[in-house]
Amino acid sequence: MALAGAAIVTGLAGGAPELVVIATPMLLLIAVGLALCAEPRLTVEVALDHTRLIEGQSATITVVIRNDGPAVDLEAALERTSHVGVDPGGPLLLRLGSGRSQSLTFAARPDRWGAHTVGPMVIRARDPLGVRVWDARLGGRMTLRSFPDEQRLRHLVAPLRTQPFLGAHVARLRGSGIEFADIRPFSPGDRVRQVNWRATARRGSLYVTDRHPEHASDVVLLLDTFAEARNGDGGTLDAAVRAAATMARAHLARRDRVALVDFGGTLHWLEPAFGTRQLYRIVDALLASDIAFSYAWRAVESIPRKLLPPGALIVAVTPLLDERSIRLITDLRTRGRDLSVIEVSPTRHTQPGPTAGDRVAYQLWTLQRQALRARLHAMGIAVVVWDETDLLDAGLEGVNAFRRSAGLAAHA
Amino acid sequence: MRLVAEIALVALAAGAIAVCLSRLPASAAPFWRRASRPEPIRPEQLIAVERLVSISEASALSVHAHLRPILVEICAQRLAARGDRLDAMTDEAGAEILGERLWELVRPGRPFPEDRHGPGIPARELAPMLGVIEQL
Repeated sequence: MALAGAAIVTGLAGGAPELVVIATPMLLLIAVGLALCAEPRLTVEVALDHTRLIEGQSATITVVIRNDGPAVDLEAALERTSHVGVDPGGPLLLRLGSGRSQSLTFAARPDRWGAHTVGPMVIRARDPLGVRVWDARLGGRMTLRSFPDEQRLRHLVAPLRTQPFLGAHVARLRGSGIEFADIRPFSPGDRVRQVNWRATARRGSLYVTDRHPEHASDVVLLLDTFAEARNGDGGTLDAAVRAAATMARAHLARRDRVALVDFGGTLHWLEPAFGTRQLYRIVDALLASDIAFSYAWRAVESIPRKLLPPGALIVAVTPLLDERSIRLITDLRTRGRDLSVIEVSPTRHTQPGPTAGDRVAYQLWTLQRQALRARLHAMGIAVVVWDETDLLDAGLEGVNAFRRSAGLAAHA
Repeated sequence: MRLVAEIALVALAAGAIAVCLSRLPASAAPFWRRASRPEPIRPEQLIAVERLVSISEASALSVHAHLRPILVEICAQRLAARGDRLDAMTDEAGAEILGERLWELVRPGRPFPEDRHGPGIPARELAPMLGVIEQL
């Protein structure tokens, strides 16, 4: 409009009628457009068919745009956070007549666990002559919770000590249970049902069968959120959360009490508890896990005592990238805690730098990490390097193998 | 007089155009941005080692004070795994197993460099030493 107006003014002032002839239709078109166009009255409703997903699954988002004003041309795109892939991804073009509505369907697929937001719709509306443009963000913001993809586990880290609750771990002590322990002479206080009649008949005096009871254990999952390595394929924190969720589910299914300690720049925890409700609490807490940058020095004293019950099995899931988490692990071990470490390998997410010096540094860093692992092994800490492309089961079996070879057999 | 009026009109029109262009609605700007992918994160631990290798090229002091302790720890652990002890090794045995250059660097009691500003160890010399350690 400004251009047309300027052309007319210049044409009139400069005595150039051709400018006026060119500019007048433009001005007329704009004037008609402005006279006819009215504010669009758009309403948008966003609906999700599932608000809870497992990583890799997708949800269908239905968006209904209704126009109660004059006809408009629309560009519409769905806003979302970075870890949600939406198909179609770019803006859609559509023309919406007066009193009409249009339904759009998007497929949303989170590529990582977490609580993601989808919506609102970002809309740009134009009147049919393209004279005026309105931008708006309409519709609600929905939360899509994507739960970590868990693996099936056949092995779990066998705890060194068990707790006197009914569970699935065979305790070393003797009592009422199913697993055979020993046959011994009868002593006052033994129950009749314990009498081993075959041995009694053979020896001519009363003998009883001892059994190992099945007990539960306390398990503390220690998630290191001090530092991570990340590239386009994901990061160590993603894998650590998947491993922690997998182990939490497996231990709770075996009637263990499970606690979660998110040990990083900020400290979060869940006290030990049994059951399905605890599983949901743990998974929800894991979804909120993030790397919080901090210079604060944290030691074992930072963890409330009630989170580390005596005799609990502590499983640290860590990339071993921060001195504070390494210090915590060695501190816990020197205090006699039953500790195992699942090292989420950062090398998969890290490439050497471009120069020859960077490549040498990468080689040195790898050797340094191997030396650290050897130092932890020497302290009696089972450290297993787990790459998320491998089965977690194999890693846990590696932990058990180390504990067996180190003489860390379970006892009650 | 007419010339002045024409110039004034043209200037006015140009001003109007400039003002209108600056006040154009968001139509010229993209109304929607694709969500950006998260940035890659390199571990601080690795960055620190890269920095160490870099300064060790330039300074004998850095080699002795920072690089050497790391190499000593790695060598001691590697030798312990095969039943040897770094701190109990003779010069001949150490040089034979680790090579003269690496042994000179990690041997117990290595003196503080006389010229602390002297040259360090270039990466091309450090690489074969690390190769020796990997072979242990």
